[in-house]
Amino acid sequence: MRSSRARRALLDAAIAAIVVAGMAIARGVYSNELMLFNFIMFLTLSQGLNIIYGFTGYLPFGYVGFFGAGAYGFALAVMHLHLPALAAMGCAGLAALVLSVILLPLLRLSGAYFAIASMAAAQALYEVIANPDLETVTKGPYGVSLAGVFAPAASYYLALAILAATLLVVVWLRNSRFGMSLQAIRDDSVSASMAGISVVRGRTVAWTLSALIAGLVGGVFAWHISVFYPDTAFDLSVSIFATVFLLFGGATTLVGPLLGVFILYGVYNVIGIAVPQYFQFTYGALIVLLVLFLPNGLVSLLTSRGIRVP
Amino acid sequence: MRSKLLALSMFAASGIAAVLAPAQAAPAAPSQITIGELYASSGPYASISMPVYDAFKLWVDETNAKGGVEMAAFGGKRIPIKLIAYDDQSSTATAATLYNQLITQDHVDLLIADSGSVLTSVGVPIAREHKQFLFDVSGTGAAFFSEDNPYIALMADPVSTIWPHYISDFLNDEGYKEGIRTVAILYSTNDFTGTQAAALKGFFERDKKVKVVYYQGVPTNTSNYTVLINNIAAQNPDAVLELGYVGNDIAFLRNLQDSGNQFRFVFTIYGGTEKEEIEKNVGVSAVTNTFSYVPASNYEYKPEVGMTQKEFRAAWEKKYPSGSGVAFGANAIYGYMTGLVIQRTLETTKSLDQMDIHDAVFALSGKLKTLDGTFELRKDGAQIGEVTPLGQLQPAGKNDVKLVAVYPPDLANGKAVLGK
Repeated sequence: MRSSRARRALLDAAIAAIVVAGMAIARGVYSNELMLFNFIMFLTLSQGLNIIYGFTGYLPFGYVGFFGAGAYGFALAVMHLHLPALAAMGCAGLAALVLSVILLPLLRLSGAYFAIASMAAAQALYEVIANPDLETVTKGPYGVSLAGVFAPAASYYLALAILAATLLVVVWLRNSRFGMSLQAIRDDSVSASMAGISVVRGRTVAWTLSALIAGLVGGVFAWHISVFYPDTAFDLSVSIFATVFLLFGGATTLVGPLLGVFILYGVYNVIGIAVPQYFQFTYGALIVLLVLFLPNGLVSLLTSRGIRVP
Repeated sequence: MRSKLLALSMFAASGIAAVLAPAQAAPAAPSQITIGELYASSGPYASISMPVYDAFKLWVDETNAKGGVEMAAFGGKRIPIKLIAYDDQSSTATAATLYNQLITQDHVDLLIADSGSVLTSVGVPIAREHKQFLFDVSGTGAAFFSEDNPYIALMADPVSTIWPHYISDFLNDEGYKEGIRTVAILYSTNDFTGTQAAALKGFFERDKKVKVVYYQGVPTNTSNYTVLINNIAAQNPDAVLELGYVGNDIAFLRNLQDSGNQFRFVFTIYGGTEKEEIEKNVGVSAVTNTFSYVPASNYEYKPEVGMTQKEFRAAWEKKYPSGSGVAFGANAIYGYMTGLVIQRTLETTKSLDQMDIHDAVFALSGKLKTLDGTFELRKDGAQIGEVTPLGQLQPAGKNDVKLVAVYPPDLANGKAVLGK
């Protein structure tokens, strides 16, 4: 039993390693680095969202709030503390962690109420950051320029490292007692509690882990792009994309969000560049078809037949 | 003996020259010059982006109809232009990817930014990283320009810190004589208008004649100004300066008319800059006697290169007849003007190397006179020419207004009428 679990974990880890290695090699093959970076960004974000939604059932529409907090945590550390980029990444993670602790009470809500409340929280944070009266601190709505630390290659590889770590966390969650306890909480929190699982502790850990990942991605995004506005860092489409990719592929799995990002974001880039006028139509049609025929994502094609998907 | 030596050396010199001559001949000419450009067909920046894009296409078509640009670097051969344009849909994230696409995948010879500061901002570090010169059409944000970045130049309108100069000069000069003592500044919080607002506040505080009694920034997506107008009215200012994008100006002018409040001097950026678009949306009465910049679309500069404003307008209306979607205005001029800078750059550049492109663009500074005025660059690439006069939309016949330049006196073609 234990050896079969170890084999499964090894298979999951191998898939994660292939994805990370593939993205590392891709940089040498394909020169539109920003597009590859965006792939890494969404691969990580959709897995981060997977941790909170796939394993606990909470769907935060305002997930971008952590991303934005991370981006601004990084920017403020560079601008005001003059920290080097790697140290500033610590501030990015810390900013998201602090925000996640502040927003912990939101976990008392559930379903649509939680989703909307998290979105409102992200919007509130955006309004604070973009406030013109805070221009001396956050640069307000005029955006930040971090030209001094601009290092596309280093930030690309750091993003890759964050992706690797995130994938390993998901592998661990899928193959550990803790991950199973989270799924038990998601399926029936009362029963899980009766079985001795600490519901509050489980949800809190998943929530902060998920926030930390988004914050780190936000930080490395700020480093990589170096010029951005609050509208960019708190753009709701970041949440929407990560959510759609996750749901398209299939939550709670390692492969589902990966498929979602590679297929949908790939389509987005092909259509978005070549024939943008058809983009929304094609994207909308894909999502409608998915909701109608595969509500549990692409992986349900296999899981519904009893086949385990990593 | 000496004459023999001389003859021998001349023969040798001519031989060497003959051998070297082919090496100095013009390099092989490319079959086409590729120009990459971004535009926004939808979203908040579509109204300033599409006229630029359409006007630039007009320049490309006009140039290709003549066989292309005559490039001295390739022995005066005419080389056609190929335009590769992508739609960023007003999204900075999409724009960043597309700038990369143009540079790294399409390998364009020349790169043109999308309109406005927001969509230009993401292109600045990308162009610099790839050592690709960026033709910045109208991204006026002061932060884009630094002397250590040679890969950018602002084409068609002055940097935001210079642009509003004539407004404060007018109010401190003629306005002060007419009793203007207080001013309210309401601005949209973005690079373009925020920088202008800050510059204006600085000018007024420096000159200490007109006092700023209201200074408020609002989000760029603000669509209702009723409460803000009432707040301004409570301060009883003589002059009100509203600095926003087209959508902001439309909402402000509508709400101002509906509120019934009247001020002696009301300024909006796009009342004159995109006169037709504003008139279409708010009606003539809402803009009558308001002040605005006088863009090249409403002012007759004498160009030494390219079409005059009237000729360009005729060409525009022929290609894009009324009702085809995009109105003629300042941004159309900016698009055509960018084409003219590129034309002169290509005609004079030593090669398509990006630093040679830089040198050719900067060599035009102060010498290129187009329908947009005199093109003049600061060392860091910021535009300091093409400063627009202050104008007023004065009644002209029945249900029409005309944009009259009222300041500075040497550019004025009419006199300002201040409210009572």
